[in-house]
Amino acid sequence: MLKIIFMVLFLFPLCFIKNSYWMVQSFLFFISFIFILMNMYSNYFMSISYMFGSDMISYGLILLSLWIVSLMLMASESVFKYNNYVNLFLFNIILLLLMLVLTFSSMSLFMFYLFFESSLIPTLFLILGWGYQPERLQAGVYLLFYTLLVSLPMLIGIFYLYKVTNTMNFYLLNNYMFNYEILYFSLVMAFLVKMPMFLVHLWLPKAHVEAPVSGSMILAGIMLKLGGYGLLRVFPFLQLLGLKFNFIWISISLVGGVLVSLTCLCQTDLKALIAYSSVAHMGIVLAGLMTMTYMGMCGSYTLMIAHGLCSSGLFCLANISYERLGSRSLLINKGLLNFMPSMALWWFLLSSANMAAPPTLNLLGEISLINSIVSWSWLTMLMLSLLSFFSAAYTLYLYAYSQHGKLFSGVYSFSGGKIREYLLLFLHWFPLNLLILKGDMCMLWL
Amino acid sequence: MFNNSSKIMFLTILMMGSLIAISANSWMGAWMGLEINLLAFIPLMSDNKLMSTEASLKYFLTQALASSVFLFAVILFLLNTGKNNANLMEMIILSSLLLKSGSAPFHFWFPNVMEGLSWINALILMTWQKIAPLMLISYVIFKPLIIISIILSSFIGALGGLNQTSLRKLMAYSSINHLGWMLAAMYNSNIWLMYFLFYTFLTFSMVLMFNMFKISYINQLFSLFFHEKSIKFFLFFNLLSLGGLPPFLGFLPKMFVIQSLTMNNQLFLLTFMVMMTLITLYFYIRLCYSAFMLNYYENSWMTFSYYKSSNMKLLLTFSYISTFGLFLTSSLYFFF
Repeated sequence: MLKIIFMVLFLFPLCFIKNSYWMVQSFLFFISFIFILMNMYSNYFMSISYMFGSDMISYGLILLSLWIVSLMLMASESVFKYNNYVNLFLFNIILLLLMLVLTFSSMSLFMFYLFFESSLIPTLFLILGWGYQPERLQAGVYLLFYTLLVSLPMLIGIFYLYKVTNTMNFYLLNNYMFNYEILYFSLVMAFLVKMPMFLVHLWLPKAHVEAPVSGSMILAGIMLKLGGYGLLRVFPFLQLLGLKFNFIWISISLVGGVLVSLTCLCQTDLKALIAYSSVAHMGIVLAGLMTMTYMGMCGSYTLMIAHGLCSSGLFCLANISYERLGSRSLLINKGLLNFMPSMALWWFLLSSANMAAPPTLNLLGEISLINSIVSWSWLTMLMLSLLSFFSAAYTLYLYAYSQHGKLFSGVYSFSGGKIREYLLLFLHWFPLNLLILKGDMCMLWL
Repeated sequence: MFNNSSKIMFLTILMMGSLIAISANSWMGAWMGLEINLLAFIPLMSDNKLMSTEASLKYFLTQALASSVFLFAVILFLLNTGKNNANLMEMIILSSLLLKSGSAPFHFWFPNVMEGLSWINALILMTWQKIAPLMLISYVIFKPLIIISIILSSFIGALGGLNQTSLRKLMAYSSINHLGWMLAAMYNSNIWLMYFLFYTFLTFSMVLMFNMFKISYINQLFSLFFHEKSIKFFLFFNLLSLGGLPPFLGFLPKMFVIQSLTMNNQLFLLTFMVMMTLITLYFYIRLCYSAFMLNYYENSWMTFSYYKSSNMKLLLTFSYISTFGLFLTSSLYFFF
């Protein structure tokens, strides 16, 4: 792993060179491609160096981070164009990437915690520094304190684990089985807030609405997955307690998913709509993961990867409209089909991915999640059917409202999509539909 | 301060007092060291301002009270050797030392005195003046009282700082909170010394910045103008580090304390302290708003530039260490 980590590390000096924006971006793609070629991982930690290693779960998420971060730079060209502290921006992004790679490749629970927390800081800076409105302060504080309030107890839980087991290694921790309720809650709550579960999700829409496009992409693409990844890592030694308490989180996230879907249908802000749709999707992921079945675990992982690509793509689309119209309101972003017919294709493709239409990875994830959740209890069928229905409904609402109908008469002049933007959207959409051909990467790691 | 040669003498005596107190092998010797230290700090505090006179008076009264109580307890110890009421004496000694160090519930003088001091004196009060009392506290750990003081210090340090606009008071409350952590570290091992060193380092870099730009109130931070925004951005990482956020150096001592307390099963005390630290983090982060919001307009009143000065270089070096120090120290920690 150190070769990847060091490669990212040595991008730091590059950030401070004038006009190095696209060079950094190209290097990030280069790292992604090299990492794709390194794909030889199994369900144990491999390519171990120092205290970092990677197994299949880590591999997928590291690759996703590298990919999303490259695309973030591609999406936020306006930072470069208007020279909005571009060097600091690059530094921040690379720092974030480094933290994420380290988080996903840590083999010890403590190091995972350390980098998990550290990745919060560059995200906070991204929102506070490059956000649009004064309200970004509130959003930043929400983000920081929601996460810290539950993750500091997790630190205590982690040290308790260390005291009992004398190891922090994930693989060795798997040999233990704990039956201590407070430990369970301290370890799980932090990840639930990060996911975010319904009831503790309030920081997410705020953060998304205030964040610049890069912030939204990384939040939806990677930060939410940190929670799921953490849960996948801690559940092996929390199974006993999971059997006792998991029904709480499954119920909350299924009912919450439906409620959040209904909230989606009331949104007029493009970004808020996509943010709430992430909460709904993460609800299914969480419910599936909490069933602790094979299909649930693998399905949640699959949907996390899929959702990372798909919602990040949708945020890009929202930003592309925002850059032209200067508003994210659906009352202004309507009838865009007349303006950008080619962009409407991407709106369609990514929306259809968001409602888990056939060739996408989302479908694979949702099918196995629905299977696992229904096998857990048939009563969940009601909520699941509502969830699937509303998921299609709000995505259709997003697509139809923004693309069809009469266009806003106040739009004066308008420019079509740029090649960069089409490439950006293609690079979101293409892996999403290609990966289903290699579904074993996502489904056969346990 | 250093233009006045008598101050240099008092500074030396101040250090000597602390050293006598911590290296004494009898309580009397410790008392003597504390007194010397106190009497050397009083003239250091005065800088011909009304506030500083008031502060030095307050400081003198509280410290003299603590010293006399301390002396009283020491004499009681002498008279009562062999009797089994040692707890009482320990408690008296401990409370007088807690008063000297300014930890809750004996903290009331501390923010008030801080308010009247120059930043350098405030730094001495927050760091050096704590060495002797803390070292002596570590000899007389009377657990029930220490726990009360830990809980109250972290609580008062967190809540007291919330509504402050004066940075000196804010730093004082943050100091009280950190004192709670130091006492907790002392509760069962010697890592308080390391915590103290890290705290001193982080406070030093903060105070260096405040002193350099002559900042006393929060609103001055908001109109603090830098030609290069990223410098301001970097300098304010110090505050996050002081708050103990993970990727920064300040997390390291907190981590050690958390670990040692977990090893001793003090989970609920620890949870309480951690939650209180979160509140201190809130008021630290409030100070950073203007720095972290890059597109924020400040008055460009400050026409002179500090970049070339050697203080600025020192400040930048310190900020660099307090920002990225965790990675360096943690790798050292794993090697040894």
